[in-house]
Amino acid sequence: MNLKNSSYFRMATVAVALLIAAFIVMVLVGVVTHSPPAVLIECFLSEEIQFAIRLSIITSVISTLLCILVAVPVAYALARYTFPGKTVMNMLMDIPMALPPLVAGVGLLLFFGVSPVGKSLAAAGLAFVFTPLGIIMAQFFVNLPYMLRVTRSTFQGVNPRYEYVAKTLGCTDAQAFWRVTLPMSWNGLLAGSVITWSKGIGEFGAGLMLAGATRMKTETLPLSLFLNMSTGKLEYAIAAATILIMISVVSLYAFERYGGATHVY
Amino acid sequence: MLVIDSVSKSLGEFSLSNVSLSVEDGEYFIVLGPTGAGKTILLETIAGIYTPDAGRILLNGRDITDVPARERRIGMVYQDYMLFPHLTVEANIGFGLKSRADPAFIRGKVEESADLLNIGHLLQRYPGTLSGGEQQRAAIARALVMEPEALLLDEPLSALDVKTRENLRAELARIHEATGTTIVHITHNFEEVFDLADRVAIMRGGDVIQVGTPEEIFRRPNSDFVAGFVGVENLFCGTGSGDGTVAVGDLRIRAENAIPGPVSVAIRPEEILLSKTPLPENGKNVVIGRVDSVRPNGGLVRVSVDAGVQFRVTLTRQGFEETGVAPGDAVHLAFRSSAAHVYPPGEEEEA
Repeated sequence: MNLKNSSYFRMATVAVALLIAAFIVMVLVGVVTHSPPAVLIECFLSEEIQFAIRLSIITSVISTLLCILVAVPVAYALARYTFPGKTVMNMLMDIPMALPPLVAGVGLLLFFGVSPVGKSLAAAGLAFVFTPLGIIMAQFFVNLPYMLRVTRSTFQGVNPRYEYVAKTLGCTDAQAFWRVTLPMSWNGLLAGSVITWSKGIGEFGAGLMLAGATRMKTETLPLSLFLNMSTGKLEYAIAAATILIMISVVSLYAFERYGGATHVY
Repeated sequence: MLVIDSVSKSLGEFSLSNVSLSVEDGEYFIVLGPTGAGKTILLETIAGIYTPDAGRILLNGRDITDVPARERRIGMVYQDYMLFPHLTVEANIGFGLKSRADPAFIRGKVEESADLLNIGHLLQRYPGTLSGGEQQRAAIARALVMEPEALLLDEPLSALDVKTRENLRAELARIHEATGTTIVHITHNFEEVFDLADRVAIMRGGDVIQVGTPEEIFRRPNSDFVAGFVGVENLFCGTGSGDGTVAVGDLRIRAENAIPGPVSVAIRPEEILLSKTPLPENGKNVVIGRVDSVRPNGGLVRVSVDAGVQFRVTLTRQGFEETGVAPGDAVHLAFRSSAAHVYPPGEEEEA
């Protein structure tokens, strides 16, 4: 480094960056190395943690699929068409993202617990309150905006003229979407799904409100961390936290990898 | 025949206002205009991407105004190729045939079309690995394989480098000859007109201002805008006197179609002779002036002469050297009365 060219300003900003990076690493490593490996593995294999892993994976995969299913058509409409109320709708869709998850959870609890719609759903066998189904609903509600945002900007990044050309080559609107826009959006959708899934795995507040915190029933990994922490079973809490850290790191890597490779056509 | 009958379309900042054109079967028709003239909207409206707000579009006698793009049998090629990046060149060219026929038929048609464009060896490649010229060939092949009744080209040569552009321009002429497809080609580049166009329409601000053969547009522009656009640098306001002359300042210019009243006079800079010695009149207009400036421009030299009004003269480099003039010299200018083109003034003038 040429000292003459490096200003104090540069040194100060880089120093702050280094400090904060070191802080993050220390916090994470502190969790992962807290328990001896043997204890950690024993906890991983325990019935409770196994249950939490399974429940977390199942609920997060289903809620992610639901998010994709809903986000794709909504994002396409918002990216391509103009219609009355579009601006308002764009804002509405983002609200759950800005809302504290606990508040979203209370809203969901009231909607599914006491509203006529919720009651008739429950009567029809779709009970969301204090059930694993509620976890899926909570994850879906809180994470949909993330999927929607990524998907919308992905579709906006595809020049509509590709679709125009497809239509002059015999495609209907739906075929042009299916054969051109969707394949061209693949990387963006993948990146959005990964981030949605990893947020789903970590979802806590809304799920806690709607599905409750019942051991071995609605006990996802974050709930397991919370329950075990509050009952003093620190090594179980650490095990849950370690798995969550690993999932975060891997999914961030995948997001950067595929999200970073997203071509803007 | 492709007929655009009083079509209007408003689309934010771009619009078409009451555009009428008719393109003959097998004609190579160029729409020329500056950026923002509404050229692309015109093509996209013809292709069926947009429905006109008013007016009709007819293709070979069939009213296609409300026919969806997929059923129009009109091909579209954009400046930026718009090849589907996730498909090979072969799949791109065969894209429109996919739902129709068996694989052997598609393969045959794709190869035929690729051969016509000389890209048979690129079929297994992806668009991202091709040069601009190759991509544009693939895009043209993709449109032609559908055997369209009309082919629309949106600035097809503008994104290419000079050499590739010349090659592809020759290619377009050859393809037009070989297939006989009716082509509507839009551009802002006047160079493409002489090589390719049977007829030209000049557009500006959503209006068609003049339609004619390249020669007509070039020699007989109908407005200051067209004259300026096709490189007529001498544009004068004058008054026609009804005796075949136009008064421009203190000058009297003989012009073939000098109409009485206020007029504009357009004289192409390369149609003016320049000499230090007096030039024989022979029925020509002769003007005396003083050289203001001399600007070399590639193989040409542009000379500006003050003769009461400002004349611009373009000479070849050799022609210029033979005159031996320098700034400040008194010079004689001469041009035929047929070189002075007169039209009503102030047409299409907008702020």
